[in-house]
Amino acid sequence: MYSLLVLLAGILQSAMMSFNGLLAESVSLWGVSLVVHASGGILLVLYILLVVREKITFRGMPWYLYSAGFFGVLLVSVSSWCVGILGAAVTTCLSVAGQLCMSAVIDHYGLFHVPRIPFSPRRIPCFLMILAGIILLNLS
Amino acid sequence: MFLIIFTAFLYGCATVVSKMVNYRATQELGTWNGSLANYVVASILALILLLLSPYLQTDLHACTQVPVHLYAGGTFGVIAFVLSIVTLRRMKVFQSTILLLTGQLLAGILFDIIIFREFTWIRFAGVLLVALGIFWDKKITAA
Repeated sequence: MYSLLVLLAGILQSAMMSFNGLLAESVSLWGVSLVVHASGGILLVLYILLVVREKITFRGMPWYLYSAGFFGVLLVSVSSWCVGILGAAVTTCLSVAGQLCMSAVIDHYGLFHVPRIPFSPRRIPCFLMILAGIILLNLS
Repeated sequence: MFLIIFTAFLYGCATVVSKMVNYRATQELGTWNGSLANYVVASILALILLLLSPYLQTDLHACTQVPVHLYAGGTFGVIAFVLSIVTLRRMKVFQSTILLLTGQLLAGILFDIIIFREFTWIRFAGVLLVALGIFWDKKITAA
């Protein structure tokens, strides 16, 4: 049951990317970001108040952590642009490949104060497979 | 073509940094308030950028011509976020990540065919190779 719900979450994420890609043609990239965050924010407020029943507060956080919102705007806009050209499947693949590489760098050097985890050579064949896939995508 | 592929890859890199900042925010304010802070700041920033962009003066009319269902992206995003947080308490992170990715990729391929009417076997093989590489890597790092 829970597996199906997570699968559904993945499908919904993909639907969001596809719809945003189409919406960007009419309302611009910043417009898509506004629609996604404003509508999502309103729903999240309702969920917190009605289901979680938690008090809403934004106080007590270091100022630089509010930059998460800056990333949010940028990421939704960039992904909408990419999906409009590459499609949802290719954008998802490339984005996850980027996430793996960045995570490997952060773990290897212990950036952002995370515990250092040296890069394992056992992962090299996986990265080569991903690279081969990206080259094929480039050819298509 | 290379530029857009590289941008999508960089988008993934930036996603990791964003997740780290988001995670720190949720440590400070809790899962729900930390995420809501992200939505609120992003909405304000996007509104400012939209007001400053020349687009607003020229093509506001187009916003009303768009099919209503295309505005559902934000709703889908929040439902996906809530589902992934709630179910994470009941299963392993590895299992959750793989299921999330499987759903995303399968639906991505389907939406590309249905909405964008795009399918080539080379592209499909590329997606398959990248996906297999990702799943293999996740299996190694989870061990």
